[in-house]
Amino acid sequence: MGKFKPLLGVLAVGLAAYPLLPFANEYLLHVMTLVMIYMVLAMGLNIVPGFCGLLDLGFVGFYGIGAYTAGLLTVHYGVSFWLIVPLAALNGALWGVLLGAPTLRLTGDYFAIVTFGFSELVVLFLTNEIWLTRGPLGLPGIDPVNVNLEFLNPDWFWEFQGEVPYFYLAVLMVLLVYFVLRRVEDSRLGRAWFAIREDPLAAASCGVDILTYKVIAFAISAGIGAVGGAFFARWQLFLSPDMFKFWESFLVLCMVVLGGLGNIHGALIGAVIMVCLGEVLREVLYVAGLPPEVRFLFYGLIMVLIMRFKPAGFFPAIAATAKSNPLLVALAARIEKTYGGRRESHS
Amino acid sequence: MLEQLLPQLVNGLTLGVIYALIAVGYTMVYGVIELINFAHGEVYMFGAFLCVTFITAVGMPFYLAIVAAMLCCAAIGMFLDLVAYKPLRKAPRLAALITAIGMSIFLQNLAMVIWGSRPLPFVQEAVPAYLNETALSFSGVYLTWLQLFIFGVTTTMMIGLMLIITRTRIGTAMRALAQNKTAASLMGINVNFVIAFTFALGSAMGAVAGILVSVYYNSLYPTMGYVAGVKAFAAAVLGGIGSVPGAMLGGIVLGVAEALGAGYVSSLYRDGVAYAVMIAVIIFRPSGLLGKAVIDKA
Repeated sequence: MGKFKPLLGVLAVGLAAYPLLPFANEYLLHVMTLVMIYMVLAMGLNIVPGFCGLLDLGFVGFYGIGAYTAGLLTVHYGVSFWLIVPLAALNGALWGVLLGAPTLRLTGDYFAIVTFGFSELVVLFLTNEIWLTRGPLGLPGIDPVNVNLEFLNPDWFWEFQGEVPYFYLAVLMVLLVYFVLRRVEDSRLGRAWFAIREDPLAAASCGVDILTYKVIAFAISAGIGAVGGAFFARWQLFLSPDMFKFWESFLVLCMVVLGGLGNIHGALIGAVIMVCLGEVLREVLYVAGLPPEVRFLFYGLIMVLIMRFKPAGFFPAIAATAKSNPLLVALAARIEKTYGGRRESHS
Repeated sequence: MLEQLLPQLVNGLTLGVIYALIAVGYTMVYGVIELINFAHGEVYMFGAFLCVTFITAVGMPFYLAIVAAMLCCAAIGMFLDLVAYKPLRKAPRLAALITAIGMSIFLQNLAMVIWGSRPLPFVQEAVPAYLNETALSFSGVYLTWLQLFIFGVTTTMMIGLMLIITRTRIGTAMRALAQNKTAASLMGINVNFVIAFTFALGSAMGAVAGILVSVYYNSLYPTMGYVAGVKAFAAAVLGGIGSVPGAMLGGIVLGVAEALGAGYVSSLYRDGVAYAVMIAVIIFRPSGLLGKAVIDKA
């Protein structure tokens, strides 16, 4: 990554200035904002399977909780966007703790299934509790975010007023989540997660409180998912339970796995690739006369092929692994060597 | 309220035996290779669609179409194992699990491309007419021949399965594999063949379940495997994953619980019963009703 840094800087500045350029178009801005929402989601999901090595299939549940928290608070109480995002994050994280605390002691497969069941229950709740969410009719009338960006918005681009503020808000959100996660990755917390992922037994014997660290990971991941949801609610201005089905979890999981489990940059790249691929496929399927959901056929195939030929994704988290305490890695290797045979006999 | 009880019970039992039939597929695969085969629900869905296709496009009679669909689904199951799971036997669990989900999504959408995304009615003309007639009635409960047929088929298949598992060489090999793969292969068991056989057996039973459900509800659609798969998985977990009698018991208990829940509590949360049961069982009694204690490897 190092030698590309200046290039990336130029690219980033170019993208940031894009909405102000005369040839900017609303569709591209929309797609870019969507990419950034998925970047946030992918970075959030990445924490659980990527950093801790546990499959979370219920991520969309937290995304939905965040979105509906934001939507309902806006519709009923007119709460400001700046207050809504932290509230949604807190609510998401709270549910993360409620779900994670009793279930994170389970082995990987069972945990995957429980999270899946949770997200389905969230959809059922949103669909059936009509008094609260209006159910399948959806929740309309969410206020757009009012950010005064007129100084950035010369008169001749007036038609972009709608998308431009959201674009910059999304940039802000991505940067915030990115820097927080980069800090966390390098902290004691991040190293504890990597240790748990690499070898829970070794981590525990080094005094890492596995359950606590897993719950923290799950809560942070849920909170970030809810932030993405809150932004989504205030951007789409309409919510319906259909938006939070298992498909979405799967899509975000695709991004994380494609980019490289455990690699923050991988999650970002995965989001770009999957959203762009999705847009292209949507066009192709429209021309072919097939329903847009069929694009998941290709996503499914991509997942199977990646797992077969590139199980660590295209940008594996080698750097991250090396950064986790070398002592722990060495210890894990020794334990594996000494007790490998005994542990094998269970499987 | 009470006059509802018996009809709900009969309905629940009918669903329950079908769930049991699907759950057996999950539990056998899990027992042998410790993988949750997420694509199992899709095999169930393919069973229903293939059966209808054989009737309408090939012109097969009803019973022959069922057998043909079973054979095709057995092949699909073996193919799944061959292309998706077999290359990952030594890979981390996470990779196999993600592959299984990828396969499930792929198959579901493949069905959407082949048969369209709208629900279809089951070809009623092909179903023998007597199946829809009332066979028995007692104190306000009507049992149709179809329900009796469902009970009969599932019971026969379950007994057949138990005989295969307990009395045949390949059944013994399956049980040996579930105990210890390495030791089994040292004893000269062809591990890959036994795993393929397990997939074939489970998939064929799943296909029958798909056909029975689509005849019972007179409807089939590409996403039908999704919810049914989750419910059957919940049944397998409830009974104790890895245990074949557990899956049968779990399926019946779940079917009855669901029908009673829908009848007496709220029909809106019909599917929620399965999720709630599943989460509760996994948290409080992960080994299930009949399962042996799970060895926590994490």
